[in-house]
Amino acid sequence: MAIYDLDGLLDKYSDEFLILEFNHLFISSSIREEVWLLQRKNDSLLIDKIVQAAREFSIQEVSDERDFETYSGGQKAILACLLTLALIDDRKIHGLNILLNNVLDSVSEENRSKLVQKFEEIRLTHNTRLFTEKDGYIQEILIGNGNPQR
Amino acid sequence: MEIRKGKYRLDDRNLNFDIVADLNFNKSAGLFYFRGGNGFGKTSFLEKVIIPALKADSLRYLYIGQDIRTQLYTLRALLSIQGFKVSDTDEVELLRLWINQGQSASVLILDEFDKYFPDYGFIFDWSADFIRTYIIVTHLAMNRRESFADNYRIFNVRFELINIDGQLKNVRVKNE
Repeated sequence: MAIYDLDGLLDKYSDEFLILEFNHLFISSSIREEVWLLQRKNDSLLIDKIVQAAREFSIQEVSDERDFETYSGGQKAILACLLTLALIDDRKIHGLNILLNNVLDSVSEENRSKLVQKFEEIRLTHNTRLFTEKDGYIQEILIGNGNPQR
Repeated sequence: MEIRKGKYRLDDRNLNFDIVADLNFNKSAGLFYFRGGNGFGKTSFLEKVIIPALKADSLRYLYIGQDIRTQLYTLRALLSIQGFKVSDTDEVELLRLWINQGQSASVLILDEFDKYFPDYGFIFDWSADFIRTYIIVTHLAMNRRESFADNYRIFNVRFELINIDGQLKNVRVKNE
């Protein structure tokens, strides 16, 4: 039995989903670097948007240069979601299916509700759908019937 | 092992804990749940307050951290060095072997292990014979009933943000 099977996850779902996985949230070490890699430029507007959104989640000490490893696990999960949301909006990406793996489970109930609400907003404007996988099954998360409070 | 009430400041983590009442881990078999918002220092409290106190009291412990990826690599290497053939061993079996090797421990710490296994009663099946105190960091709701909890006295320890003073977070730690 696997606790953590990244290859299996990618094999199974990467064709259909953008996967956010708790143990692999970022490819660089700060918001600034992550944005640079994704946008191929210093996009200060996008960075500001992510930083402002992070403050709504009580991550007061957020900054574009701060090393991801100095945030708590839950804060990192929130930042990865906010980065994804900001990019979807900035690039006007429509119809994306996002699979969260061990991400929402890493944040507090209050922040989980806020995050799901943010994903719901982008679902309405960008037709983005949000999923999780448990025990080999994919479940869609929807406000109302899917708020993943366990 | 006891963590006395008072202020515990971790400058390198920008955290200042105010422990409202003594946390006594010496009571009969206990299950301590740590809950609180993101960034309120639950993992830092484990690493900088609880674990040093365990070491000071020469109490052995097992710690399953949040970053399971790194830990599984480490476990595989550690068990290999000890002579176990684990190159093809699945991860749950790795954990079982490791826990079984740690029978001198009396404390088991699980930091959000429930996100990998919402039903993690098997950890108790493997360890209840020698573990006296479980410390569990979780975001699961308090009203969730876990069958393994029946045999333990439950302590709910909550981390609450009092305020932020510059970069410093003042966090109240209280046993509910």
